[in-house]
Amino acid sequence: MSQTIKTTFQLPIGPIHPALKEPVAFEFEIDGEQIIDVNVTLGHVHRAIEWAARKRNPIQVLYLAERICGICSYCHPMAFALAVERIADVEVPEHAQFLRVIHAEIERMCSHILWAGVAAHEIGFDSVLFLTWEIREKLLDLTEYLVGNRVTKAITMIGGVRRDITPEMYPKIKETLQYLKDSFEKLRRVYLEDKTFKMRTKGCGILTKEEALKLVAAGPTTRASGVKKDVRVDQSYFAYCDLDIDYMTPDILTGEVNGDVYDRIIVRLLEVKQSISLIEQCLEQMPPGPIVSEPKIAKLLAKLKKVDGEGIGRMEAPRGEVFHYVKLNANEYIYAWKVRAPTYNNIMPWIPMLKNQQIADIPIVAASTDPCMSCTNRIIMIEDKKTFILGKEELHQRSIQKTRRLHL
Amino acid sequence: MRFSMLPQVFVQMFKKPFTNKFPAKYTPSSTTKFVEKIQNGTVTIHPPVPIPEHFRGKIRYDKDKCIGCKLCIKVCPSEAIEFKEEEKKIKIFLARCTFCSQCNDICPVSCLSMSDDFLLADTDKYSKNLIVE
Amino acid sequence: MNQEQVRTPEEIIQSYQDTFSQNISETRIERFTTGVKKTEFVHIWMKVNRTVFKDAIKHLFQFDKYPHFAVSSGYDTADNIDLIYHFSIYHGSRDKELSINIKVSLPKSDPTLDTITDLIPGALISEQEKQEMLGVKIKNIPKDKRVFISDDFTKDVYAWRRDETGPYKYARNLHEVDK
Repeated sequence: MSQTIKTTFQLPIGPIHPALKEPVAFEFEIDGEQIIDVNVTLGHVHRAIEWAARKRNPIQVLYLAERICGICSYCHPMAFALAVERIADVEVPEHAQFLRVIHAEIERMCSHILWAGVAAHEIGFDSVLFLTWEIREKLLDLTEYLVGNRVTKAITMIGGVRRDITPEMYPKIKETLQYLKDSFEKLRRVYLEDKTFKMRTKGCGILTKEEALKLVAAGPTTRASGVKKDVRVDQSYFAYCDLDIDYMTPDILTGEVNGDVYDRIIVRLLEVKQSISLIEQCLEQMPPGPIVSEPKIAKLLAKLKKVDGEGIGRMEAPRGEVFHYVKLNANEYIYAWKVRAPTYNNIMPWIPMLKNQQIADIPIVAASTDPCMSCTNRIIMIEDKKTFILGKEELHQRSIQKTRRLHL
Repeated sequence: MRFSMLPQVFVQMFKKPFTNKFPAKYTPSSTTKFVEKIQNGTVTIHPPVPIPEHFRGKIRYDKDKCIGCKLCIKVCPSEAIEFKEEEKKIKIFLARCTFCSQCNDICPVSCLSMSDDFLLADTDKYSKNLIVE
Repeated sequence: MNQEQVRTPEEIIQSYQDTFSQNISETRIERFTTGVKKTEFVHIWMKVNRTVFKDAIKHLFQFDKYPHFAVSSGYDTADNIDLIYHFSIYHGSRDKELSINIKVSLPKSDPTLDTITDLIPGALISEQEKQEMLGVKIKNIPKDKRVFISDDFTKDVYAWRRDETGPYKYARNLHEVDK
């Protein structure tokens, strides 16, 4: 008589899947509805970026770095410029440092509001998605007015920025900030007091403080678990040392730290509020001066051609710490360049977060770390076989059905 | 509050939609005749959204001012500019241009500038309106 | 914020030199200032011999119970592969963080190195990436599989190298092909 042995079931999700915004391949081992183990494979959007930098001079690499990712398209060229400025000993004028802070905070707000919409969509709350993205449109209009384009700002230059913010532009900035403050109350009421959000996200996808420290997670993912890590406060760059800024952990609002998805929502909404206050402080405190240390670009290129050394640049992107390592060796082109996007470090925490959860929780937990796969994969381009494609919208439908079940 | 989005959804039913509409609902069969009809007043269009100044659109090239120094070629991140040896002038391929305007900044005689033209879609990468020279 | 005493950069380098004597070389401290108030921050660089590499990383835990590991970068020269491990310590209070960069040089004839995933589990992806991109062999790595390159790509082409095992024959400049 044959015995039946109970084994676990393997569920592959990705690389192309409606529940995921970008390609990543998961393999879950499931027993019933509970997840037991997770295997993650990356590498589906490789482009040849670090390799392409080997035949480009530093100014061309700025635009290459901008196209690593669409949402964090400001922090990659900025971190690269910081690294090169530290190698070549270029002093950035103070006016330019405050301008850089303003652009960084506008981008942080755009990214967090976009994330808020995506998180609501994963739960099944599509009307909130459209509400948040309508708010984001006003911010993108402001960006277009200041910079010339909505995304891919092209405002970085080694030694400063490329465009100034004159006092005639202040009224439009202040009007947008006022609009944001008014709609912040709407967002806060929906995300933090709505019963649906609380039911779906509390106690879900927990990452303890010890695991966050050991797996070296970065950004709001680790701050929601109570770890105080923020590059703007720890090792400040630009003009953050002159501004009033602090770590944003969930106990500022609720008084306790759980490390679940609800806490991550709290941290991101608090950071939007913090960004509004930082931009206002900058507009008050900004000293006048030049916007770039060397306006003649041909002279700057000639100076960079003779520099020899290595340097690092770190920045706080909306998702975590962005790290660039650059090595120049007295040549026109770059010798070595290593980019580490924050999602690189935030992928390992997926494994303890997803264990013992249900399948319908996979979209919201994976989305709560705000993954940006385009940032993570950028090394070499090769022929790649797509692994498999799962059925239509199955995972997303399961997530919506769980929400409906909880209501009834 | 159990259904916190409900008042917002209700208000939205009576508000104007947020999307900016195209000038006309369907593509006109002939653009020149359509423009004449607008000027006569027989057809009304949705007013277009104003483009902010210093918008980075299609590049404009003042051929007479150019001195052939090749600095713009050195700094273009996508190799979109080619040098014409005999005339000592440049040729810009818009299919590869990233609209960063770095060439505007470095040009010593300021012969390059960005217009606010952004409707540049075409079926052929090397067609006449995608090459500036 | 940790309860241990915060050490200055000179004390840290001195403590390394006392413990490891001539296995540490090429140390330098870089100080930069930023902002109107000219706040200072420090980067420490040092080069460590391969034989004491793991002990040097363990020594870092004396200063901070949970050092932050950013990434490990690498490049290859004519005969060696140089790997640099980027750490940072003392997070948690304002403007006190120090960046520590530890370089280790491996000969191309024997590019092996110890793993640090038993001390810092988050370093797994970084070590897997060095194995497939530069041809380094990490001893005792917990999961030996490729992370960025697919499994059917040939195993004797290393993507970041500049010598004959580099990927040059796979590269095509599409705009030159098309025009």
